[in-house]
Amino acid sequence: MSSGAPVYLDYAATSPADPRVAAAMSECLTRDGVFGNPSSMHQHGRLARECVERARAQAAALIHVQPRQLVWTSGATESNNLAILGTARATAKRGRHLVTARTEHKSVLDPCHRLEHEGFQVTYLDTDHEGLIAPERVRAALRDDTVLVSIMHVNNEIGVLQDIAAIAAICQERAVPLHVDAAQSAGKVAVDVARLRCDLLSFTAHKLYGPKGIGALYFAPARRASLQPLMFGGGQERGLRSGTLAVHQIVGFGVACELAAAAWPTDAERCERLRARLWLGLQALDGVLLNGHATRRVAGILNVSFTGIEGESLLMGLSELSLSTGSACTSDNDEPSYVLRALGRDTELAQSSLRFSFGRYSCEEDIDVAIAAVTREVRRLRAVAP
Amino acid sequence: MNPGTVNSGAEDPLGPQVRVLFAALRHAGEPAAAAITARVLCGEAGREQRGTRVRFMLRLVGDRLVEVRYRAYGCPYTLAACEWLAQQLESGGRDSIGGPAEWAQKLRIPPARLGRLLVVEDALRAALAAADKTMTDS
Repeated sequence: MSSGAPVYLDYAATSPADPRVAAAMSECLTRDGVFGNPSSMHQHGRLARECVERARAQAAALIHVQPRQLVWTSGATESNNLAILGTARATAKRGRHLVTARTEHKSVLDPCHRLEHEGFQVTYLDTDHEGLIAPERVRAALRDDTVLVSIMHVNNEIGVLQDIAAIAAICQERAVPLHVDAAQSAGKVAVDVARLRCDLLSFTAHKLYGPKGIGALYFAPARRASLQPLMFGGGQERGLRSGTLAVHQIVGFGVACELAAAAWPTDAERCERLRARLWLGLQALDGVLLNGHATRRVAGILNVSFTGIEGESLLMGLSELSLSTGSACTSDNDEPSYVLRALGRDTELAQSSLRFSFGRYSCEEDIDVAIAAVTREVRRLRAVAP
Repeated sequence: MNPGTVNSGAEDPLGPQVRVLFAALRHAGEPAAAAITARVLCGEAGREQRGTRVRFMLRLVGDRLVEVRYRAYGCPYTLAACEWLAQQLESGGRDSIGGPAEWAQKLRIPPARLGRLLVVEDALRAALAAADKTMTDS
């Protein structure tokens, strides 16, 4: 961190690119680098194609699948859209019902809402008060006409880890495909598709120290015929995602995946220690509540509510920190986090939450700065309150 | 979604006036203890569950307003407006304060936050009405 800059504790929003990622990307942009169009047959194109396929192998290795089972996208949002809209529209003759959870990312919920406008029905599962989905709730929601279940691996706001393997087992019993949004888990925890047993899985580069604007969707071989593309044009990516491939971003994603595959256990261990340090420090204040399950969670996210505190004022008082709140306060929308509301938090507590998320470059000093700043502001605002 | 994200980049989302007021809420709290025997009139509005609750306390000596204090739960604009109003009332009296639209203009508060300022106004008007009633009764 540069001197005077705020401490960055928003790794769940995005992460800085690893310098090795940036170096690899820069080699794919200029005349003396690999700038060709990978669809071209000449040497420049073939070199670019080699880089793209190397990156595909790197990304596939991170989640333990075959490279040909990945399609490049612009990020997790597009991957989620492709998985949900693409599957539902392609299999609409078989059924028009989907299952997801109320706590999913908007890039899952909004495509589901879109499908409702197209005549589909969607069951939105409730979580328990700790943010977990009981696999039996999925079983109870499945119908004969269910064509897809979509459940996220790690929740982006509260960090809880869902039991995907158990949910997948239920889906397989009923031959219903399972899509998993792994944007917050790939490169942070073990993501092995063979163990998760999902049919579709979304992940993205910028959450794991890669560039923004590039992601991927894994699809099981049997699912290819059940995926309708959203974009049409040059027929790239075997017709699933037309458009000239962004070689520099793909290369960056590949390097980021390779680095993450080696570094995530160490990163996770350090983040676990940092999270414990932060939680201990914050608990010195009264009225501090953990949002989400205490142990079934990813290491790098801690979401906390503070009683008697208005979230936007708390956040705005913390100018030495870059982090997120459960209140959508920077927009004109006063609505509190729908995820925290789904957990049963009242409006006041949902609005008073902060999401701390740390990563590879976080250190103990950052955590200590955060504890001191939050303690100061919570005490100041409570002293002002009626 | 990603929750609302803020960092202290080049442009402060609060704007300079609100930032300065919000950073130093000097009039927050109770009227001075030594003066508690004087008449202190209160007005309150809002609810925490709705995102804003404000209480103004006015200390009168005779018919003269000598001290303004407040307590508030709300967004930074709410707190800044309370602080600014307390300063204005103490220095210029009640004729100097105007209404929520003027406060928003002077402090560059976004129109979307006008609803919060209406709660501030309700609390202040209630306190001023209590002061008026006290003066009339006496």
